[in-house]
Amino acid sequence: MPPETALKFEALEAQAQRLMATFTRAGYEHVAPAIIQPAGLFLDVVGESLRARTYVFTDPEGEELCLRPDLTVPTCRLHLARHPSGDTPARYCYNGSAFRYQPGGATSAHPREFRQAGIESFGAADREQADAGVAAVIVEALRSAGLSRFRLRIGDLGLFSALLGALPMPPRWRRRLRHHFLRPEAFRTALARLTSAEALQVQGLPPALVDRLDPGKPHEAIPAIEDYLDKSGIELIGTRTLAEIAERLLAEAADARETPLAAEHAALIESYVAVRGPAKSAAQKIADLMRDRGVNLTEALDAFRRRLTLIEAAGIDLSDAAFSAEFGRNLEYYTGFVFEIVVPELGPRSPVAGGGRYDSLLAEVGAATNVPAVGSCIHTERLLAALDGGAS
Amino acid sequence: MNGNGKLILALPSKGRLMELTNAALAAVGLAPTRTGSARGYKGEIASLPGVEVNFVSSSEITQFLKSGAVHLGITGEDLVREAMADADQRVRFLRRCGFGHADVIVAVPACWIDVQRMADLEEMAPGYRRAHGHQMRVATKYMNLARRFFTQRSVTSYRIVESLGATEGAPAAGLAELVVDITTTGATLKANGLRVLDDGIILKSEANLIASNAAPWTPELKAIEDALLAQFGA
Repeated sequence: MPPETALKFEALEAQAQRLMATFTRAGYEHVAPAIIQPAGLFLDVVGESLRARTYVFTDPEGEELCLRPDLTVPTCRLHLARHPSGDTPARYCYNGSAFRYQPGGATSAHPREFRQAGIESFGAADREQADAGVAAVIVEALRSAGLSRFRLRIGDLGLFSALLGALPMPPRWRRRLRHHFLRPEAFRTALARLTSAEALQVQGLPPALVDRLDPGKPHEAIPAIEDYLDKSGIELIGTRTLAEIAERLLAEAADARETPLAAEHAALIESYVAVRGPAKSAAQKIADLMRDRGVNLTEALDAFRRRLTLIEAAGIDLSDAAFSAEFGRNLEYYTGFVFEIVVPELGPRSPVAGGGRYDSLLAEVGAATNVPAVGSCIHTERLLAALDGGAS
Repeated sequence: MNGNGKLILALPSKGRLMELTNAALAAVGLAPTRTGSARGYKGEIASLPGVEVNFVSSSEITQFLKSGAVHLGITGEDLVREAMADADQRVRFLRRCGFGHADVIVAVPACWIDVQRMADLEEMAPGYRRAHGHQMRVATKYMNLARRFFTQRSVTSYRIVESLGATEGAPAAGLAELVVDITTTGATLKANGLRVLDDGIILKSEANLIASNAAPWTPELKAIEDALLAQFGA
């Protein structure tokens, strides 16, 4: 990769000023979170794909630190330092460096050091309004920088959660499927297992122990497991407690007694995940799919439609926007609306901006409860490259 | 490292792997001898004058094969695959040597009776995190092999903790929850209260004779490689 030139630095600075001016005009407070972040917290909340690409180092006192791989988590930490409960509404914007190891070598579209200009909105109760607001401000900023040709790609992890909620199954199966949604392979395996009474049996343990695991009598499980470990000469080691092991075995024992997920419902989940096409007809497509199976997703679909209406009302043309039910799968902390903005010059693998809703992240970083949160950032080097390439 | 037109062969300079390598080469009439002082780092093979031997540490052998500083080397497949994500593009594994056996494995505390397979790790991950406030930690010196294997098995809710010695003791010491480590008989794992997962074998490794694709090969050097291989046996 060629070293940065002064000219490009100046061009990036000038572009950043236009982006930041749009953000602050829209009511976002300009903040500058720390570049060096505690590694432990960061690595626990970002997904594995980002975790393996984070530069981690140890300072002379042995503290594990990292160079921030994005600015969302640092902005969450900054917000919590100001408002420890986390739920005080606030809107922040930033422009700063982020660092990521690029397997196979850094390129100009995927540099290891790049600048993100972005916004985060915390604590806004009207979620669709806040989603649309963030998308609108990002699009406005891109336009202020000179971008005119671009496409939106959107997804909604809330629809997926709503679908799981509408199908009869134990809550822990919903949690499991939501957790595995990010890993297509594991997701398929988990779904197949839940539909098979045989696969739901507790495996790899002696029947004598399995018989003593009764979900209705959880207090009997720990002595039963202790007994088993004793007789097998297995010592209890490590940080995981007997109670945790018992809890999971009891859940498995409960699974074994559960009615498997109906095959038609598993098929419905798979059909939903495969939905893709124009954003404006996606809601109807999903509604048709659900109606055929007698499943009611009205509330989530209304929210989806309302969000699109609000985005269009903000002056964004959605006629060529694409929807994919799977979109958001590879982005670990998102919980609802997700979007990316792609330009033909750079292709779908190098979006110039992306973002979404992440209602559980503030709690993971330290807030007392989940806090509504939505944000987005612009990859400023890509934006500049797109504009140089004639995207204006 | 300039071989003056010679084929450079890197061999382990110390430890058990050195002894086994020297013995195996001697058994096929390729005994390496050190030139200069007995502690020197250069050597030769009397029956193959076109070969220059460099005695270096195992990790250096891997680096030299990667950079092309040597043509051939004998070292563990585990070290090569750990150091190169694209090992099959960068080197050619010519011969398995039949010694230096070590399996790179995923092992968990034997008391985790609810965890038998890799998929169980991802199943238990959310509960672990809820109870402890952090992702489960995997102690290993094989960071890349571990990461690639976990990704292949759709296990993503973990953190790697680098461990440069006595990895098998990390779970009992509370430094990590599970390990990716090497084992030969399994006795050390057992003594530390660990058990290999049913599908937790990442690599069955042994010492290999390996050629670097990055080294400057000429038809003459290739001919020396062929002669060496012919004598080395299958």
